[in-house]
Amino acid sequence: MRNEPFRVTTEERRLKAPSHRANGESAIGRVSAINTAERRWIKADLLARRGQAVLTVLAVAGIVGALITAATLLEDGTNPWRGLFTRGNGAHVWIHTKDAPDPATLKALDGVTDVAGPYRSAPATLVQDGKKTPVALQEMPAALPAVGRPIVREGGWLDPDVPAGVVVERSFAKALGLRPGASFPAIGLNGADHALTVVGLAESGDQGFYPEWTPGLAWTLSTTLRQVEPALGRSEAVTGLRLADPDATSLIVQRTITALAGQVQRATTWREVQASMELDNRLLGVMLALFGVAGLVAAALAIANAVGGRVLAQQRDIATLKSLGFTRRQVVRMLVIEHGSLGLAGIALGVLCGRLITAYTLAETVVVPLSSAPLVAITFGAVLMVLVAVWLPAWSGGRTPPIPAAPSAPPRGHLSRMARVALLVRLPPALVLGARDAFTRRLPALLTTFGLAIPMMMITIGLGCWATLDAFRSHPEQVGQAAALTVRPGNLTSDAANRLVLGNPDVVASYPGTEVDTVVPGQTRTVRTRALGTVADPYPFSVVEGRMFRERGEAVAGQGLLDLLNVRIGDRTRLTIGGTPLIVQIVGRVLEPEQDGEVLSVALDSLAPKDALPPQFFGVVLRQGADPAVVHARLQSQGLEVTQAVNLADRLSVIRVIIVLLVVVLALLGLATMLTASALGLRDHALDLAVLKAMGLTPRQVMATLVTGTGLLVVLGVGAGALAGAAVSSGLIDLQGAASGIGAGIGRAPGAATLLVAVLAAVGAALLVALIPARKAARARVPVTPR
Amino acid sequence: MSLANEPGTTSAAVQAVNLVKVYQTGGLPVHAVRGVDLRVDRGEFVAIMGPSGSGKSTLVHMLGGLDSRTSGEIWVDGKRADTLNESGWAILRRQKIGFVFQFFNLVANMTVADNVELPALLGGSSPRHARERREYLLGELGLVDKADASPAQLSGGEQQRVALARALANQPQVLLADEPTGNLDSRNTKDVLRLLGQVHRQGQTIVMVTHDARVAGLADRVVTLLDGMIVDDGAIAPPRRRTKPGAGDVVELRG
Repeated sequence: MRNEPFRVTTEERRLKAPSHRANGESAIGRVSAINTAERRWIKADLLARRGQAVLTVLAVAGIVGALITAATLLEDGTNPWRGLFTRGNGAHVWIHTKDAPDPATLKALDGVTDVAGPYRSAPATLVQDGKKTPVALQEMPAALPAVGRPIVREGGWLDPDVPAGVVVERSFAKALGLRPGASFPAIGLNGADHALTVVGLAESGDQGFYPEWTPGLAWTLSTTLRQVEPALGRSEAVTGLRLADPDATSLIVQRTITALAGQVQRATTWREVQASMELDNRLLGVMLALFGVAGLVAAALAIANAVGGRVLAQQRDIATLKSLGFTRRQVVRMLVIEHGSLGLAGIALGVLCGRLITAYTLAETVVVPLSSAPLVAITFGAVLMVLVAVWLPAWSGGRTPPIPAAPSAPPRGHLSRMARVALLVRLPPALVLGARDAFTRRLPALLTTFGLAIPMMMITIGLGCWATLDAFRSHPEQVGQAAALTVRPGNLTSDAANRLVLGNPDVVASYPGTEVDTVVPGQTRTVRTRALGTVADPYPFSVVEGRMFRERGEAVAGQGLLDLLNVRIGDRTRLTIGGTPLIVQIVGRVLEPEQDGEVLSVALDSLAPKDALPPQFFGVVLRQGADPAVVHARLQSQGLEVTQAVNLADRLSVIRVIIVLLVVVLALLGLATMLTASALGLRDHALDLAVLKAMGLTPRQVMATLVTGTGLLVVLGVGAGALAGAAVSSGLIDLQGAASGIGAGIGRAPGAATLLVAVLAAVGAALLVALIPARKAARARVPVTPR
Repeated sequence: MSLANEPGTTSAAVQAVNLVKVYQTGGLPVHAVRGVDLRVDRGEFVAIMGPSGSGKSTLVHMLGGLDSRTSGEIWVDGKRADTLNESGWAILRRQKIGFVFQFFNLVANMTVADNVELPALLGGSSPRHARERREYLLGELGLVDKADASPAQLSGGEQQRVALARALANQPQVLLADEPTGNLDSRNTKDVLRLLGQVHRQGQTIVMVTHDARVAGLADRVVTLLDGMIVDDGAIAPPRRRTKPGAGDVVELRG
C-alpha cells in the first residue's frame, strides 16, 4: 500500500475536504480573495508574454504622459501667473505705504508666513527716441530675496559693480524694444537725467504684464534709485506679504490696513495679477479636451483589441482551466487583474513620466507641474477607460465553453458568390482568399477597422486644425484681423497721423477707430465696443452670418457677445455705450478673435461724437506681402505709437506642439492595433497555410494572401477614418470656435494633398507591419498540429 | 431497471439516467446522445467505444459538466449534478473529477510543475502541500527532471503523462479520459495505458473514451455507443490483473 503511487488515503481525503468546501464558497463569491492558482496563472502568463506586456504598459504610459504634458503646457500657456508665482516664491499681497513699515509687525500678523521688503519705489520717466514712458523704479538687493524674487530670463541680475544697471520687466522691455546692454536716460521727478543700462530682463508674478498693467517696472540697486530720486518724500515703500492661506487674502489685507493705521495707500493682491495675466484662450482648452478624449478612446480601443486578441489566442488554455475547475468568475477576474494591472502600471508610469517631462525637459517653458484637478481628471479618466477596455474582452473570455477540444479556429464559411465570380474573372487568388479571410471573424475585424479608423480620424482632425492655423496666418483678414497694425497718434493730431500713415507706400487703407466700454443689460461687467471705420467706408470685418452694417445704429458682433446677450442676428438691443444709451440692431456675426468674442463692432459715426472724436487709433491695412515689422519700424520712427496685431495662430501655437505629440501617440496606437490584428490573422490561418501550400500556392502568394487579409482592414479603416475626419474636421473646429466665442466659420479641412500623403503613409506603414510576419510565416515549414 | 440502478441508492461513482443531448446547429437539431443510462461504480474502469460521431465524447463531456445536457439526470458521488450551474460544476470538477484529453491540453504558459500543482492550488491546498503532491506524482510518472520544462519541450507521451498527473492531483472520485491515446504512437500508448491500469488497480474509477479495441481491452467493462445509444455493455477479460479484492471488483451486467 505504501508504494502505490496514486493511492488516496481516507485520511488525506478527510483532511482536504474542508479546504475544498471553503474554496468552493470563495469561487461562488462570498469570499473574493484571489486564489493561489489564479495568481500563479497570471504570473506565468505575464512572464510568457513579457514583450507584449511591456508594449501595453508603454502605450498607456505614452498616452497618459502626452495628455499630462499637453495639459501642463496649456495650463501654463493660459495662466502664466501660476508658474511665475511659484518659481519666484511670490508674495500674495503687495502693500504700498508712504514710509517703510516695520517688517516685524507685518510678519507677526496671523496668517503671514514671510515678508518681502520693504523696498523703496519711485516713479521716473524713461526716454527713448524722444518718446517718454513712465516707469516705476524699485530697489532690490543684489542678492535675490527669498520671497518675491524676479525670475531672470535674459542677461543677469543687478550687480554692485554696475551701479547704473537696471533689470527691466520683460513684457515692458519687449514693448519698448529694450534688450540687455541697451542704455536709456531716465528722468527723475526733479528733472535730472540719469543714464541707465539694462543688465537683464526678468519676469515676475508680482505684477501684471505691460501694457495691461502700468507703469512698467524696472528693478535697480538702492544706490541707483537714490541717485535718480534723492527725495524720500517722492517715493513710496512696497512690502510683499506671503500668506499661509491664499484664500484669506482679503481678510489679511484688512488686518494689515488696521495694523499700519492709515499708512497704506493701496494694496494689490495675487488675484488681480492673476486676472490680468490670464489669456482668453478658451479655444485652446476646448481643442485639448477634444484631443484628450479622442486619445483616450483610441487607447481604449487599442487595449480592448489587444486583450481581445490575447483572449482569443488563449481560448484553448482558458477552456482547459475551466475543465480543471476554474469558474467563469475566476477566469474573468484573472484576465481583468492581469491586463488591468498592466494598464494601471502604464497609467502610473505615464503620470510619473508626464511629471518628469514637465519638470526637466520643459523646465524652461513650463515652470510648475500640472495642478491637481486636471491631473486627477486625466488619471481617473484613464483608469476608467482601462477597466472598461479590459473588462469587456475578459467577460467574453469568461464565457469560453470549458471543452478544450472546441475549435479555436475561425468559423468556416464557403466562398461567397462574389468570391467565385472574382475567381472566375481571374482576379489573383491571393487577393480573393485574403479578402475572404479578412472578415471570417466579424468582431475582431470590426475592432481592427475601428481601432485604425479612430486614430486616423483624429489625425485628420489634427491636420484640419493645422490647416486652420495656417489659414489664420496666411489670411488674417478672414478671422477679423485685416489690420496688421494699430497706430495711435501719440503727440500728433489724428489727421496728421492719418496723413503720415497713408503716406507709407505699403499702406492700403487706414480706418479711424475707438474702443469704449459698454454696459450690457443684466451683466455686472462691461464688454468692449469697437468703433472702426465709418458707415460710408467700413472696416473689412469678416462677416460670416447676416450682413455688414450699412447704417448708423446697426452693429455686428462676435459669437461670444451673441451668447452673452442671448440675442440672434436681426435683434435690437439696448446698450450703454461709453455712457450714452443706444439702441443697436445686430445685423451680422463676425469672427472675433479678441475678448472671447465678446465685442460689439459698430461704425465710428454710430457713436456719440464725444466718444467718437477724435479717433483713438487707426487700423492700418497693409498691401498683400508687405512686412508688418518693417512698416511698424518706419511708422514708429515717425513718432507714432504702433502696435502690431498678434496673429491668432501665434496665440494658439502651442496647439501645433500638441498636434504633433498626439499624432505620434495615435500612430503608435494604430501600430499596436495592427500588431494585434496581424498576430491574430496569422494564428487563425496557421492551419490554412499548409492547405494553401498543398493546393500549390507559392510562398509569395501565401504571403500576399496573409497581407491582403489584414491589409484590407487597414485600407478600410484608414480610408473611413480619413473620410470621417475630413468630413467632420471643419465642422468640429467651427463648433470649438463657437464654444470659444470666436464663432463658427474658422474651420478648414486639411488639404487634399496633405490628406493623401497621410493616408498613404498610414496604409504603407501598416502594410509593412503586416508584411514582415507574413513573409516569415509564408517561408516557414508549417507543421500540421492541432494548435 | 433494478433497484441498484436507482440513482443515489448506492454509491455509484457517476451515473447517467436517460441522458439526452441535442445540438442545435443551423436550425437543425442533431441528436448526439439519445437517452443513455449508465452507472459506473467505484473502482470500475469503463471504456466507452463507438465509431466517430456516436456521441461518446459528448457523453463523457456531459458526465464532467463540460457540456450541458438537454434532458436526463447526472449523479456524481451520490449527489445530483445536472442541476448545477456552471460554477457549481466547476467546483464539483475541481474536487471530484479529473480530465485527460486527446490533445493533452497542458496550459502552454506554465511549466510542467505549475500545470500539475494548479488543480491542488485551485482546490485550496497550501502551496507546500501542492508541491509535495506534485513531486510525488511526477516521481511516480518518471518526470521529475521535466518539472521546470515548458509543455512545448516535451514529447506527446510525456505531455500526456503530465496531463494524467494533473488530473490525479486532487485525487478525484472519477477520472474521465477522452481518447487519451488518440494522439500517441504505440510505445507511448503502451506507457499511458500501463499507468492508467496502475491507477485503476489502486481503486481509481476511470471512464475512458476510445475507438481502439486494444485500448478498450484494458477496461473491466466496455460500453459501445452507436448513434447516441448504448448498443452493448458488458464486462470483458478475466479479472486476473487484479491483485486484491476491492471496490473495483463489483462488475455488473446491465440488465
